[in-house]
Amino acid sequence: MAGARPPASLHDVELAALAAVGDRPAFGELVRRHGSAVRGLLRRMGAEASVADDIAQDAFLAAFERIAEYRGEGAFSGWVRKIAARLYVRRWKKEARFDLEAEAADEGHGGESVVASRIDLDEAMKALSPAERLCVSLCYGAGVSHVEAAEAMNLPLGTVKSHVKRGLDKLRLRLAPATGAEAGLAGGVGHV
Amino acid sequence: MSDLDFEMKLDRLFNEPPAMPDSEAFARLVEMRLDRGWTVRQLALGAAGLVAGLIGVAQVLGSRMVLETAAAAIGRQAEALGGSLLSLLDVGEAASALPYGGQVIWMGAALGVMALAFAVTRAVEELK
Repeated sequence: MAGARPPASLHDVELAALAAVGDRPAFGELVRRHGSAVRGLLRRMGAEASVADDIAQDAFLAAFERIAEYRGEGAFSGWVRKIAARLYVRRWKKEARFDLEAEAADEGHGGESVVASRIDLDEAMKALSPAERLCVSLCYGAGVSHVEAAEAMNLPLGTVKSHVKRGLDKLRLRLAPATGAEAGLAGGVGHV
Repeated sequence: MSDLDFEMKLDRLFNEPPAMPDSEAFARLVEMRLDRGWTVRQLALGAAGLVAGLIGVAQVLGSRMVLETAAAAIGRQAEALGGSLLSLLDVGEAASALPYGGQVIWMGAALGVMALAFAVTRAVEELK
């Protein structure tokens, strides 16, 4: 029986089922397992560390409230990351720090000339504009489709696709080995 | 690198959680907020239960008073009815000695029915 085993030995779905009946230690184990992934995603989306942590906490609390909705169809981490990403987008829109559509009209941010050998994703994400970071993180980090991202950000679908494409091009330059970087510029966009 | 390869690589990189040295502290913070929320919820439920209990007690006390009033009213009506029946018997005995005994008995019975109807009406009014 799942209840007799220590939380650390249980699968995410079992822990979620226990959390759904009010078992908070089981949910704590889920936070332990996936907290870093959620916080990491929020930072990659452009949130400062303290803001990312606040939103990650809110996301886990929201996840606990809605834990009965999680039925194990996908990874628990993906489910919480989606909640966190939506919370961040909501906050981002409220603060209205950027005019996303205006930014879409701007040309790139100078990333094309940089060819690094291998730097990690977090560093590479810093080369993206805020809107590109947000769109790429939503689509690749939170598993949100372009359509869902456009709806979440109240942006035209074409604008979101454009942000994702330019973001991917910049990431490709930074993440690919030096020899293959130039060839990578011609790449397209997935996750439609 | 092909588009597909690159996107798979990106997916993999995004799915690799970064190492965070304070992940345990973060988990404890979330648990603390959960506990706090739970405590607040329990207090709210307890307060709601207390209020509901007080309302329930007030209702029970109120209904007891109503029942006592009704019981007293029924008692009074029963006494009145008993008195009526006794008087009816007295009238019956006396009536047998009278030349028009039959008519007197019928009148007494009619009065008894009226008294009963009066008693029932009063009892219903008291219960309202």
